Amino acid sequence: MGKKEKRSRIIAFALGMIIFVILIFPLYWMVVTALKTQVEIFQIPTPLWPADLTLDAFKAQISASSDTLRGFKNSAIIAVGATAISTLLSIPAAYGLARFRFGMKKALILFFLITQMLPSTLVLTSLYIMFSKVKLLNTYWAPILADATLGIPFSIIILRTYFLSIPKELDEAANIDGCGYWKSFFLIMLPIAKPGVIVAAVFSFVYAWGDLIYGITFITDPTKRPITSSIYNYVQQYQTLWNSTMAFGIIAISPVVLIFIFMQKYIVSGLTNGAVKA
Amino acid sequence: MGFLFALPAAIYMLVFIGYPMIQNIILSFKNVDVYTFAQPANQKFVGLQNYIELFVSGNSILTKAIINTLVFTVGSIFFQFIIGFALALLFNKKFPGCSFFRGVTMISWLLPVTVAGLLFKFMFASSGGIINQFLVALHILDKPMDWLLQPKSAMVAIIVANIWIGIPFNMMLLITGLTTIPSDVYESCNLDGANKVQTLFWVTIPMIKPAIMSVLTLGFVYTFKVFDLVWVMTKGGPINSTELVSTYAYRLSFEEFQFSKGAAAANVLFLILLVVGIFYIKLINEEEEIM
Repeated sequence: MGKKEKRSRIIAFALGMIIFVILIFPLYWMVVTALKTQVEIFQIPTPLWPADLTLDAFKAQISASSDTLRGFKNSAIIAVGATAISTLLSIPAAYGLARFRFGMKKALILFFLITQMLPSTLVLTSLYIMFSKVKLLNTYWAPILADATLGIPFSIIILRTYFLSIPKELDEAANIDGCGYWKSFFLIMLPIAKPGVIVAAVFSFVYAWGDLIYGITFITDPTKRPITSSIYNYVQQYQTLWNSTMAFGIIAISPVVLIFIFMQKYIVSGLTNGAVKA
Repeated sequence: MGFLFALPAAIYMLVFIGYPMIQNIILSFKNVDVYTFAQPANQKFVGLQNYIELFVSGNSILTKAIINTLVFTVGSIFFQFIIGFALALLFNKKFPGCSFFRGVTMISWLLPVTVAGLLFKFMFASSGGIINQFLVALHILDKPMDWLLQPKSAMVAIIVANIWIGIPFNMMLLITGLTTIPSDVYESCNLDGANKVQTLFWVTIPMIKPAIMSVLTLGFVYTFKVFDLVWVMTKGGPINSTELVSTYAYRLSFEEFQFSKGAAAANVLFLILLVVGIFYIKLINEEEEIM
């Protein structure tokens, strides 16, 4: 390695470090604030690390009477439900759109691409009226059914690129061996496309977990609110109780952070495949 | 056969997206509000009246919301793209810790936007907010200011928050674009005596043009429909200065219960996105035959 190259790597490292610190600072600040007392939060200058480290804010949020755990449970039910619907419908659809030729194929792919770009506000009012007619408001079903629409188009696009990357000879061989469409789908395609299925499920979950608009609109019963809607309502009520709000926020983001830590590779590949290749 | 595989998902999306979209168009030509909501007999078609009232009324909030949305979108994308591009160039180099730094900065994109919005609301707060303290310490500000309570600075604050959320998306897509450039291209540039700036503008940018166009159009679509971030940070205030088309449509429908007007505002948002969406789809069709 030349001297010049070595120096440029050191500069790149230093720059990378600085950028990392700036970009990650808001998250650091969330954690530090959650560990501070209210007094320290409003001190000027506010300490960058709490002198008076306390877990009180977390304890208050986790206590049985708080909305936090209930919101967490509600969000878990809603996000798992939406992920299940989205993944179960997307796998066969992506397979069909990758492996077969048929008349409306192009139109269908376009349809899914377009639905991915639609704003939730566009369907919100009509969905509200629809769900109120069939008495689904204030049940988990309303956000589950609506949140699944966020995951389906993305999942289909991602999974289709996975199925496309599997060599056609594999199905042909399976067909010759007497496997029908269904058998070759379950025994050959699905196991190979497993990483794609994981990416699709992860994104469907993250979308559903992060949803606010469907949650605040379809569920007004405080006991059934998802966690994004509970924290939103919590802040309206306790305006400047920032340590508690940040503790609440950390609990609300924890599943996403865990998913991120364990599935980072999948997430990066999903993001780039889904957006660029379509 | 392939059609049958795709059918369940297609039906699902038609029921929960397609049908509501059509209903939304019909609703926007009616007079459904808090009074007529429960009385279908009194609901009638009023033609373009909702649209006309939204645009023509003396102080049209919708016009203001469209302008705000454009400012918000262009402001966000401009900085997200430049910062994202710079980071992509940096992280495309191999240096110790590179993949760790790159990986961890991704997380801002995955966080529930509601929480990110609250976090920035706190950082921009006039008392206890760290941003004010930094700016005062650096003598950029004399005293802490109410970022979210003044029209111009509130817009700056929501744009800054949105830039933070969007940087990883821009960075990742551009890195993917950069990895498609074979390294011998750069070697021959070096031999030809091109300097770094020349290489960037004459080689790198033209070669990743498809990735750049994807990032910009998708970024536009995603930013133009942002709702939660703004609803959490400013709720469209103060005095509609951060009102976006999406928050205005929501306010009309679910705070003022003027369902038909809300539907009309949402349709305006849809029409603008449709134009950009068609552009994007044409783009990827040109880029690779999607069949």
